[in-house]
Amino acid sequence: MPRFFLVAALTLAVLAPVPAPAAPEGTMTWAVHTTLAPTNFDPAETPGIITPFMVYYALHDALVKPMPGNPRAPSLAESWSASKDGLTYDFVLRKGVKFHNGEPLTAEDVKFSFERYRGTSAKILKDRVASIETPDAGRVRFRLKQPWPDFMTFYSTATGAGWIVPRKYVEKVGDDGFKKAPVGAGPYKFVSTQPGVEIVFEAFEQYWRKAPSVKRLVFKVIPDESTRLAALKRGEADIVYSIRGALAEELRRTPGLTLKPAVIQAPFWIYFADQWDPKSPWHDKRVRLAANHALDRTAINQAETLGFSKITWSIIPSTFDFFWQPPPYRYDPQQAKKLLAEAGYPNGFDGGEYFCDTAYANLAEAALNYLQAVGIRVRLRPLERAAFFKGFGEKKFKNLIQGASGAFGNAATRLEAFVVTGGTYVYGGYPDLDGLFAEQVNETNPRVRQQILHKIQQLVHDKVMFAHLWELAFINGAGPRVAESGLGLIAGHAYSAPYEDLKLKAK
Amino acid sequence: MKKFVVRRIGYSVLSLLLLSLTIFFFVRVTGDPAVLLAEPGASAEDLRIIREQFGLDRPLWIQYGAFMENLLKGDFGKSFYYRTPVLELYLSRLPHSLLLAGAAMVFSLLIGIPTGIIAAVRVNRWWDSIGKVFALLGLSLPSFWVGLLLILFFSVYLEWLPSSGAGTAWHVIMPAFALGWYFAAAHMRLTRSSMLEVLGSEYVKLARLKGLPEALVIAKHAFKNALIPVLTLAGINLVIMVNVAVVVETVFAWPGVGRLLFEGISFRDFPVVQATVILGGAMIIVVNLVVDILYAVIDPRIRLER
Repeated sequence: MPRFFLVAALTLAVLAPVPAPAAPEGTMTWAVHTTLAPTNFDPAETPGIITPFMVYYALHDALVKPMPGNPRAPSLAESWSASKDGLTYDFVLRKGVKFHNGEPLTAEDVKFSFERYRGTSAKILKDRVASIETPDAGRVRFRLKQPWPDFMTFYSTATGAGWIVPRKYVEKVGDDGFKKAPVGAGPYKFVSTQPGVEIVFEAFEQYWRKAPSVKRLVFKVIPDESTRLAALKRGEADIVYSIRGALAEELRRTPGLTLKPAVIQAPFWIYFADQWDPKSPWHDKRVRLAANHALDRTAINQAETLGFSKITWSIIPSTFDFFWQPPPYRYDPQQAKKLLAEAGYPNGFDGGEYFCDTAYANLAEAALNYLQAVGIRVRLRPLERAAFFKGFGEKKFKNLIQGASGAFGNAATRLEAFVVTGGTYVYGGYPDLDGLFAEQVNETNPRVRQQILHKIQQLVHDKVMFAHLWELAFINGAGPRVAESGLGLIAGHAYSAPYEDLKLKAK
Repeated sequence: MKKFVVRRIGYSVLSLLLLSLTIFFFVRVTGDPAVLLAEPGASAEDLRIIREQFGLDRPLWIQYGAFMENLLKGDFGKSFYYRTPVLELYLSRLPHSLLLAGAAMVFSLLIGIPTGIIAAVRVNRWWDSIGKVFALLGLSLPSFWVGLLLILFFSVYLEWLPSSGAGTAWHVIMPAFALGWYFAAAHMRLTRSSMLEVLGSEYVKLARLKGLPEALVIAKHAFKNALIPVLTLAGINLVIMVNVAVVVETVFAWPGVGRLLFEGISFRDFPVVQATVILGGAMIIVVNLVVDILYAVIDPRIRLER
């Protein structure tokens, strides 16, 4: 008898209609702080900034991309493997994936997308790739000219080369046509745009990962921070980006609104540009240590980003491959004064100028006040962003520079730009660091490479080359209708993503 | 007359040339756009490629030559940031700017002219003082501050009006007020002074001596004549409103030409800045030219003097 019930129950279970996934519904609206342009529709033109990824995660998909809990998640590629000699990378494509226009996604599209890529680091990538083979429609093979341990970093996270566009469609409509009516393989289809004003997307229910829950996404560009907050309060926007200081506090106080900070891959630090000049007080390591002990980073973080930024003690984002965690410096003004006295400056000294980008002069002012408190007298020199980075890169500054970077990559790429002799923003070098850096460039064993890169970071810490300030929290807000904003799901990503995970609250 | 018109057109063309030269070199003094199109920390190679892509690696005079050659063909180039033709971008924003400027102008005239007339008729009395305070506030309060207060009051507290964007008649009310107040104050001041001048003239005195009712003297004899300079100013102001509502359009996220200029400056998007400034300048020059010619047609002394 029990057997009969079991069989009956199983039969009913098999025959019972499977509930269909709920159709996407509702509209989610963003108030975006920066300008969105048609160039953001085309991964081939990915600049070295994060803005276009706000669009890519909706419209397009990549072979491998950062996802929640996995910085290198298989997406359009089901799997991939590297040969032992590090010269070949094989990707197996996910079966049955279609573009929004119904065309199947094939290996030819992957090859085409790589070949037409002309965005950031395109030359680095293309100089190292000897050929791309497509043995069949579901497999792609990249052959490198020589082993390059950073291939996957560049292909999957640091560029847009791994984001796939439909070859036939692009060839038919051309580059300009593609920007006017883009087609991708992402969870949302393009509906309309007004350049720099608004973009509208609609759910693509055949998306391979899952059908999105929200029907329409609307991105409205609202340049003014106060107006963005007003739009959130009025319910004109469900999610707003970049709300800072007092306005963030106001957002936090407002019932129904939620503060959604996202720590992004953008550390800030003070660079001791004179550390190689024997005549400068900054040449003395004790002085640089004193500056590190003088800064109350927790208080600065609390005042400027409500405590949401992360103090990581490094110039390398904590989410990057090969990141090494330096030990913290205690906030200790007495220790700072003692170190200054030992270095021959019992009454403090004139530390010269403190150069910074005006957009982050608030952080610089706070840091400068703490330096003054222990006797390091410094004058603030805020410069407009372009002028600041031009001067920084052309080595025109002296004394102290407030450095920052949100560029993609890994620990090695950051060290190359900010630590190793000859780097874009490097004012001097240390032979031991340079030697170790050269050693790791062609090292294919990830464990050995990690050891070397950790060693370099340890030496950077020991030499007190920098004074870390924070890893910036990008403060966003969500309105009362939002159940899942997607903010903070992907480590280091500033915006909502993945969009197919977003949810509105039931009415 | 023909000589006068040809001379004026010559001056206009020269002004445009000087404007193009000035804006071309001035935007290039402001910094390197490549730095803003990549993250800090981008490799020197990436920055070099960006400069090469936009032709910024060529000598300035070659860049200017190419710019002028394209300009004469009506091609303002492609935006560095949007990567689309600048003229297309400008024309997509222009209707919004025309709508906002039109609404702001209507507001400024509806407020400015009546208050100006009353202030002149009731000179040095309390109504005149109110008018002066209104004008002082309009001319001195920064429009971004007025805009934010309007948003706070009418959008956030009262929830009557949308805080930003465009699309309905409700959207235009606050930006038109924020933009129009400054011009309403200017129109009020000019109406007042113009009315005072006309009210003191011989023919108005004669009209009063003839026993005409005061309302008729003000409305028919004084106002009509006082209106000419006000309308002339309003015409020029309308063109200015279309092109320079940068702050108001940014605060209210109004998708007009002013916001495009703001974006151009923010991203060092040289072609966008050049095009918005030159097209805006061209509008002002053309309006001035038309006004000059009309004046010369109406008043022969002008064409003979020059």
